[in-house]
Amino acid sequence: MKKMGFKEFLYIVPVLFLIGVFSLWPVIQSFTYSFFDYRLNDQTKSELLLSEKFNVDLYSERSFYIERFLNQSMPEITDGEDRQQVEKLIADLNDLNQQFEGQEGVIKISGDVTDQVKNVYESADQLVAELSETYELVQEENLPLLIDDIQNSLVQSNFIGLEGYAKALTDDRLQYSLGVTLAFTIISVFLELVFGLGMAMIMNKAIQGQGFIRVTSLIPWAIPTAVAALMWSYLYDGHYGVVAAIFESLGFIENSTDLLQTSLGGISAVILADVWKTTPYMAILLLAGLQNIPNTLYEAASIDGASKIQQFFKVTLPLLKPSILVALLFRTLDAFRVFDLIYVLTSGGPGGATETMSVYAYKVMFGQMNFGYGSVIVMIMFICVAIIATIYVKVLGTNLMEKN
Amino acid sequence: MAKSKHPNGAKKWPFFTVLFIYLAVVVFPFFWVLITSFKSNGEIFGDNAFGLIPQNPTIQHYVSVITEKGMLHAIMNSLIVSVVTTIYIILVATFAAYAISRFEFRGKNVLLGLILAVSMFPQMIIVGPIYDLFLSIGWTNSYWVVLPYSSITLPMAVWILVTHFNQIPLALEESAKIDGATPFQTLFKIVFPLAAPGVFTTAIIVFIIAWNEFLLTITLNANSKFHTVPVAISFLRTQFEILWGQVAAATIIVTIPTLIIVLLFQRQIVSGLTSGGVKE
Repeated sequence: MKKMGFKEFLYIVPVLFLIGVFSLWPVIQSFTYSFFDYRLNDQTKSELLLSEKFNVDLYSERSFYIERFLNQSMPEITDGEDRQQVEKLIADLNDLNQQFEGQEGVIKISGDVTDQVKNVYESADQLVAELSETYELVQEENLPLLIDDIQNSLVQSNFIGLEGYAKALTDDRLQYSLGVTLAFTIISVFLELVFGLGMAMIMNKAIQGQGFIRVTSLIPWAIPTAVAALMWSYLYDGHYGVVAAIFESLGFIENSTDLLQTSLGGISAVILADVWKTTPYMAILLLAGLQNIPNTLYEAASIDGASKIQQFFKVTLPLLKPSILVALLFRTLDAFRVFDLIYVLTSGGPGGATETMSVYAYKVMFGQMNFGYGSVIVMIMFICVAIIATIYVKVLGTNLMEKN
Repeated sequence: MAKSKHPNGAKKWPFFTVLFIYLAVVVFPFFWVLITSFKSNGEIFGDNAFGLIPQNPTIQHYVSVITEKGMLHAIMNSLIVSVVTTIYIILVATFAAYAISRFEFRGKNVLLGLILAVSMFPQMIIVGPIYDLFLSIGWTNSYWVVLPYSSITLPMAVWILVTHFNQIPLALEESAKIDGATPFQTLFKIVFPLAAPGVFTTAIIVFIIAWNEFLLTITLNANSKFHTVPVAISFLRTQFEILWGQVAAATIIVTIPTLIIVLLFQRQIVSGLTSGGVKE
């Protein structure tokens, strides 16, 4: 094999670039987010801040009004010393304003300036409290609020370290969603494997109509999950859905509305929809594996007097093991991160009974715009996926990589 | 071969029964939705909700899905996004897979492991930072969404293509070199024509994955002007009243392109799906 020189290296540059920017960088970034109280809809937390910052816009607007109201109150203030103090405060406020002349938004400031802002806040707070005892000030109720905003214009660091993870440990909703995800993954992948294997063996026997069976099997896999989910939400509908009606008449459920309105009904409904969509795909993967098993092995087994069941356990299963494990690995990971199906079919309802971790993370991130805690959930998912993948790869050995 | 094991036809019928039930279960939802799409609202929400035959067949739902809900526009968006994704992913993945298959370099196994790992991790993990990135450079609500699509399509594409390149014998390239072909001539005249079936298979799989993508589009492109089919169709449900007739019609409309692709390319799809997983 040829050694890679510079020219050959160019072949893989685009892949490195795309994977780096759109796959690896976001993972590292999500990891970073999880240590911050990072919310896009809260101006004081909409940035990752390791140190304090200063909100110039807020400060200049608030100080403008404070100055104005104090100036308007001047005629009321009769004591000479008080007047001096007010003038000094106005001068201090202006002094800060001049320092930030021409700057806007949220900026970085030095520790000295931080102290200066804090001092101005404290003296203003104290002064206004004193003055309002003796005089009738203009906008007396609002002044303290405006002065509070001087302090608020110092944006605190939103670095919270492991607090997000600590919160996750006590978050019942997260634990429940982990349970739902695991239940969904284990049950649906198990059913898909059993039905898929059964179907693969039957398809392997069918000589006529292989093409037709293949097309029919591929369509559920090929249509968008969102479309399948919407279709099933119609079939499950409590009043007009035919599947709900059939289940009711078969006695699976007491009432046709139970399917989407009870916890057990909801989780069964999403599992059934997933099994419908994915079993054919599983069957096709396993069929390819079955077709690689030489028929002579079965002939030899039957000459040795092995029954059909013995043949299945002693010949089919061992030889099919690599195919089964690879199919299981990818199906398990797919099921674990399930999103579209549940988001469109039940939105995690009823009452969170079908809310998987992906759906929960999505709601926290894009419903509440809380990217910090959303990333914590996502990182926990990432850890789970890593554990699942490691277990499978340990079982698979080097099978996955050995081809190369 | 299987036939010889069952000389008497009597033993075969359980197989066919199970096969028939399987096909019926797989097809039934589409069949039912097709019926519903031709029923009037009065029938869907009334006495004929469970009837097999529409009493007054109507194409009203198809008309309103196309004219009012912009389903054709969504199909157009899906086509643009999927075709662009397929083209650039195939270009990038083909070169990378060729290099991985043919050249020796340090960190090759790391690269392969990385690609495999990317195909495993939950997509949700990349969405937050990419949303942030797109927001800050003004790429939300645009077709730039195709770039993050690489995260879900590229690993699969590289993986399938490496398998295909590994099956092309090295000797052909060596003899081309001896005959005085430049590396690029070898690549374009020998390797690519031989790899074409594999590349084509990969392209179809990439196209289907891109066509079905949901999460990135719904988060990055909130504006309905850029909604692809899966996202546009999911919004039919979030109305306060769900018009099942329109849902059914939309489902049928968007299933047709998939059906055509599957009908035409079933062999390639199956070989693509199995080449990553099944070992010979």
